[in-house]
Amino acid sequence: MAEVTHEGTGAPEHGAGFPPFKTETFPGQIFWLAITFAFLFVMLWRVAGPRIKGAIHIRREAINGDIRAAEAARAESQAAGAAYQNALATARKKAQALAEETRVALNAEIATGKADAEAEAGRLTAAADARINESRAAARGHVKGAAEAAAIAIVAKLTGETVSAADAAAALEKA
Amino acid sequence: MALNPMEQFAIKPLIPLHIGGYDVSFTNQSLLMVIVVVAAGLFLSLAVKPGKLVPGRGQSMAEMSYEFVANMIHSATGEDGLRFFPLVFSLFIFVLFSNFFGMIPGSYTVTSQIMVTFALASLVILTVIVTGFVKHGIGFLKLFVPHAPLPLLFLLVPIEVISFLTRPISLSVRLFANMLAGHTMLAVFAGFVIALGGAGGVLSLLSIAPMALIVGILLLELLVAFLQAYVFAILTCIYLNEALHLHDQH
Repeated sequence: MAEVTHEGTGAPEHGAGFPPFKTETFPGQIFWLAITFAFLFVMLWRVAGPRIKGAIHIRREAINGDIRAAEAARAESQAAGAAYQNALATARKKAQALAEETRVALNAEIATGKADAEAEAGRLTAAADARINESRAAARGHVKGAAEAAAIAIVAKLTGETVSAADAAAALEKA
Repeated sequence: MALNPMEQFAIKPLIPLHIGGYDVSFTNQSLLMVIVVVAAGLFLSLAVKPGKLVPGRGQSMAEMSYEFVANMIHSATGEDGLRFFPLVFSLFIFVLFSNFFGMIPGSYTVTSQIMVTFALASLVILTVIVTGFVKHGIGFLKLFVPHAPLPLLFLLVPIEVISFLTRPISLSVRLFANMLAGHTMLAVFAGFVIALGGAGGVLSLLSIAPMALIVGILLLELLVAFLQAYVFAILTCIYLNEALHLHDQH
């Protein structure tokens, strides 16, 4: 502090000498220092200190509480995520099982249908074959009869002999 | 024009008062002490609103000074030193505010009086002595016996005793001398500015040089004002630590 006075060296009783070493001021200094310092001490000890401490404490608690809440929320969200994954895996497994089951059932149905169809086809084929064979035998019978008649007619014309039908048949069998 | 750089340290009675034959007049110094403690007490109490999660400027400063001192005590003396928090905090705040209020032109620097600093230092040393004897009993005297071979102790014990006894002096003179020297220097250079400025002609222009110096010294003094408050508080913590833990490291 640059205090420059214009009134000389101050009051006469304090002007001379080095002010800090003037012993006559000491009692007054100690007196007022004791009062003011005691006031400050009590003020800081009883009022300011607890208030500041409280403010810092409340803030620290609030921050710690928020951090705890955030951690709890994170754990919760992680649990929810895990549950979701679990549910997803279960559902997927179930779906796969269902698909497999369906596939097996369908395959069985297809196999049954195929077997039925094959059996029906076999039956029809057999029936058709039987009919063909029948027709063929009938046709062959007709052809034999015609051949016998023709053979008898040919023999009768060539030789004039009458050949019995049985002989003609036997001769045709040999040929 | 008389320019006595010591003039600023003169104690002038404002309200004469005598108690028991002693002159305890309310002086310019008393006035500054009252202003300092009222300002500091009110500021630190009212700036803080408990429950205010985001502190304002004032509250930040109050909390910062609180935690600054608390950390200082904790690092210097450990957990059990924190019971001295009100004392160290009061000393720090008193010295800090006194130093800073002394920087206001026209005010008075309370800590530029050796009696004030010596009284505060004595309070510290008395606290140290009482704490030491209460905690360690007569064993507190082991403070003066360092771990050393016996022949050396004849030399070391007197040194320890002297070093302990000079503590109140060094603690008080350090603060007092720093404030006195800084303010005297400012006043001397201010005297130069006025003397040169009044000389007229080229010399008047030269008065800029001491003016520039004043600005520099003023900034330095602001640093010193804080630093000396810090030094006073940290030394208090160190002395208290010795009283609590003797020579052992906590």
